[in-house]
Amino acid sequence: MSDPGVPPSPARRTVPFRGGGFAPQSRSWISWATLVVVLGAWQGAVSGGLVSPIFLPSPWTILLALKSLIVSGELWRHLAASLSRIGLGWALGTMAGIVVGVMMGLFTSFRSGGIPMVSALYPIPKIALLPLFILWFGIGETPKIVTIGFGVFFATVIATFTGVDGVPRSLIRMGQSFGMPMFGIVRKILLPGALPGILAGFRISASTALLLVVSAEMVGAQLGIGSFVLSAGNLMQTDQLLAGVAVLSVLGLMIGLLLSRLEKWLLRWR
Amino acid sequence: MKARWWAACAAVVALLAAGHAQAADKIKIGVLKLVSSGPIFIAQEKGYFAAEGLDAELVYFEAAQPISVAAVSGDIDVGITGLTAGFYNLAGKGALKIVAAQSREEKGYHLNAYLASPAAYEAGLKSFKDFRGKSVAITQTGSTFHYSLGLLAEKYKFPLSENRLVALQSLPNMVSALKGNQVEALVIPATIAVPMIERGEAKLLGWVGDETPWQLGASFATPKTIAERRTLVTRYVSAYRKAAKDFYEAFLQMGPDGNPKNGPEAGALLAILSKFTGQTAENIRPGIPFVDPEARLLVDDIYHQVEWYQSQGLVDKAVEAKAIVDLSFVSGHFNVPK
Amino acid sequence: MELSAEGIGHSFGALEVLDGIDFRVAAGEILAVIGPSGCGKSTLLSILGGLLQPDKGRAALDGAPPADSLNPLTFVFQDFALLPWRTVRGNVELALEHHRLSGPERRERVEAALAAIGLAEFKDVYPKQLSGGMRQRVGIARALVVRPAILLMDEPLSALDAQTRELLMEDFLDLWLDAKVSAVYVTHNLTEALRLADRILVLSRRPGRIKEMVRVPIPQRERTSLAAQAELAALSDTLWQSIKREAQVADREMTDV
Ligand SMILES: Nc1ncnc2c1ncn2[C@@H]1O[C@H](COP(=O)(O)OP(=O)(O)O)[C@@H](O)[C@H]1O
Ligand SMILES: [Mg+2]
Repeated sequence: MSDPGVPPSPARRTVPFRGGGFAPQSRSWISWATLVVVLGAWQGAVSGGLVSPIFLPSPWTILLALKSLIVSGELWRHLAASLSRIGLGWALGTMAGIVVGVMMGLFTSFRSGGIPMVSALYPIPKIALLPLFILWFGIGETPKIVTIGFGVFFATVIATFTGVDGVPRSLIRMGQSFGMPMFGIVRKILLPGALPGILAGFRISASTALLLVVSAEMVGAQLGIGSFVLSAGNLMQTDQLLAGVAVLSVLGLMIGLLLSRLEKWLLRWR
Repeated sequence: MKARWWAACAAVVALLAAGHAQAADKIKIGVLKLVSSGPIFIAQEKGYFAAEGLDAELVYFEAAQPISVAAVSGDIDVGITGLTAGFYNLAGKGALKIVAAQSREEKGYHLNAYLASPAAYEAGLKSFKDFRGKSVAITQTGSTFHYSLGLLAEKYKFPLSENRLVALQSLPNMVSALKGNQVEALVIPATIAVPMIERGEAKLLGWVGDETPWQLGASFATPKTIAERRTLVTRYVSAYRKAAKDFYEAFLQMGPDGNPKNGPEAGALLAILSKFTGQTAENIRPGIPFVDPEARLLVDDIYHQVEWYQSQGLVDKAVEAKAIVDLSFVSGHFNVPK
Repeated sequence: MELSAEGIGHSFGALEVLDGIDFRVAAGEILAVIGPSGCGKSTLLSILGGLLQPDKGRAALDGAPPADSLNPLTFVFQDFALLPWRTVRGNVELALEHHRLSGPERRERVEAALAAIGLAEFKDVYPKQLSGGMRQRVGIARALVVRPAILLMDEPLSALDAQTRELLMEDFLDLWLDAKVSAVYVTHNLTEALRLADRILVLSRRPGRIKEMVRVPIPQRERTSLAAQAELAALSDTLWQSIKREAQVADREMTDV
C-alpha cells in the first residue's frame, strides 16, 4: 500500500547521497598503463638528455642487455642455478619452520624458549654471519642454501605459530570431544586452520628467499642471478645490473602469481 | 644609536668581502682510509693543499667503487683509489680520466701477498710453479686481486681459466675460506697476511710486487673538471707530489739489507697516517705500499690492464686506454706507449 | 548409561563459577539446564563431557554404553564448531575417521546421519554456503553419527533465528525420542526447555548452584495440544518468576566485567 495524496511541494528535495567510496578495485588496464607511462617517461628522460645514461640506463638499453643474456643462454644458466638454490633453501626452511612453528603453537616449553630465540635471531643480517657460514658450511652450495633457508625459516616460524594461535580453540575442543588423538587434531584441525596464515607467510618467505639469493651468492658463486647482479654492480655495468634486477622482479611477480593461484585453490572453502 | 648599528653592519660586510677575496678554492677529495692514500693525509696535515690555495675536504668512503661514482656525480672533485674493471667501465664512458699515480706494486715492497693454506702447502703448493689449477680466493671479479692473478698467470704461463677463482666479497670472508680449507690460496694485503703467517695459519708464496710490479692506484677526475677547473687539478697534483716525496723519503728508500728503511721524518709521518687511518703505527709500518715520489704512472701497465680486463670480458670492448689517461699533469711518466 | 554430577564445584582463579552441583540423568532422559548468562552452564557441560577438570567433585558414569556407540558422551556446540575447509560430508566423517570402521560402513553411517537430519542434498557443500540452521544440522548429524549414549548440548539453537529454531526443535525431538538418547540440554530459553525437557534444572546466578529441579509432567509428544499449552504456560510463569530477579542482577554483573 502506498501513501497517496501527499501533495507535491516546492520545498521537497532529494535526500543528499552520502554513501559510496572506500571500495577500491583493481583494474588491470590501469596497472599496465601505469607501467607503460613510467617506462615511457624514463626512456624519454634518458633519450632527451635529462638523465645521464651513466647514472640510469634507459629501459631500451636494459632490454638490449636482457636480450643478449637470453640469446647467449647465460640467463637460463643463471636462473637455473639461482632457482635450485631458492627452491631447495625455501623448501627446507619452510618445512623446518612449519614444524617449529607448530611446536611453538602447541607446547609451552617450545613457545617460551622459541619466541625470544626467534626475536633475537630473526633480525640478524645474514651478511654479517658470512665469514662464520664459510667456516661452518664452506663455499659450495651448502652456505647458499643455508642462508636462504635461514631467512625463510624465521619468516615461516612466525607465520605458522601466529596461524596456529589463530585457530579457534572451540574447534580443538570439538576434536577432543570426539576423542580424536593428538596427532589427528594437529593434522586435521590445527594445520588446515593455520593454513591461511602459513600461506600468507609463504608470500613473505618467498620474497625473503629472493632477497637473500643476492646475499647467498656473495659467497663464491660463479653462476646465479644474484652473483650476476653483484658482479655487474662491481664492474659498473649498470645496464646489466638493472637487467638482472628486472629478472629478479619478474621472478618475484611470477612467484607471487603462483602463490595466489595456490592460495585460491587450497583455500577454496573460504 | 642608529649610526652605531649601521657602522657595525658595514664592518661585517667588509669582513665578509675580505674573507671571500682570500678564501681558498674548495676541493673535495674522495679517499679510503688506507695507507695507500698516505700522501693525501700528509698533504692535508702539513698544509700542502692550503699552500696551493686549496681548501681541501677529505670525503671518506668504505669501498673503491663509490669513489669513482661520486667523482662522476660531482659529489667529489678528485678521487684517489685502486683501479678496477668497474673503474675502467665507468671511465670508458667518457666519465673519468686518470691524472696522477697513487700506489703501485713494486719489487721489494710488500703490499699484497700470495698465501697458501698450510694444508695446500703440505699437499704441494709450495711455489708459483705449482699454482696451476689451484683454487684462489679473491674479493670480486674485476678487482685488483683478480688482475694480479692475471699477471701471475702470464708470468708463470699457467692458464688462469683452469684456476677456480672464488669471489667472496670481503677480506674476512677470504680469510675464513682459507682457514676452513675451502680454497688453497689467496691474495691479501700485508696487514692481514703478516699476522697470519706468524700465527702459522698460512704459508707465504710470495709478494705481488716482487712477482709482477704494476700500477695499483691513481688519482682521477672528470673530463669536465679537468677542462673547466684545470688549475684546481694542477694544484692538487702538485700538493700531492710534495707529500708523496715526503712519504717516499720517510718510508720507501731501500736500505742496504734490501728492505725499505725509515727516513728522519718516519716517526712524524707514521703519526699522521695513524691519525687518519685509525690504525696503530706498528700495524701500518710493515704494509706501507710503494708510492711514486713524482706521482708518475706506469702507463703501459694501465693499457695492459684495460686489454687484460677486456680479454676476460670484464671491461667493455669500446673502452680505449688512451682516452682515459691525461698525462699532462705530471712529467716523466714511465713507459708511455707510442 | 547414566550420567551423574557429584558435588561439582569450579573456579577460574578467584572467580567461583560452580558450587555443589549434584544430579543424575537417567537413561533416555532429557535434562534441561537453564540459568542466567555467565552462571557456569557451559563450564558445567565441559566438566560433564570430560573437557574440563573440576576443582571439586566429579562427573561419573554408570552402566555400559550401547555396543555400537563410538563416543558415548557427545557434544553439540552453540557455534557449531564445523571445520570450514571440510564439506558437510567431511565434517560428519571427521568424527569417524579415527575409529576402526571399514570404508563402506563409514560411508553408510555418514549417509544415514545426513539423511536423518535432512542434509542429503547438501553433502558436498562447504559450511560457508549454508544457513545457520543448516550448519547446526551438520553439527547434529556429526553428533549422531557416533551413536552417542548421552548428548551434551550447549545452547545449540541460540545462534539461530526464532523460526529456524522452531523447525529444528521439532526435528530434534523426533530424533531423540526415536533414538532414546539421553541429553543434557543447556539453554537460557524457557520455551525451549519446556518443549524438550523431561526435567528442568534451574541454576542460580554465579556461582551457579542448583536452585530448583522441576519435572515437566506432560510427555513431549503431547505438549503441543491446547490443554497442555495452558499447563505449560503456568509452569513457565512460575519458573520465570523464580529466575527473573537473578537474570536482572546477572545482567548487571555482565556489564561490569
Ligand atoms: N576459561 C575460562 N577462564 C576464565 N574464566 C572463564 C573461563 N570460561 C568461563 N569463564 C567465566 O566463568 C563464568 C561462567 O562461564 P560460562 O560457563 O561460559 O557461563 P554460561 O555458559 O552460563 O553463560 C563467566 O563469568 C565466564 O566469564
Ligand atoms: Mg555458555
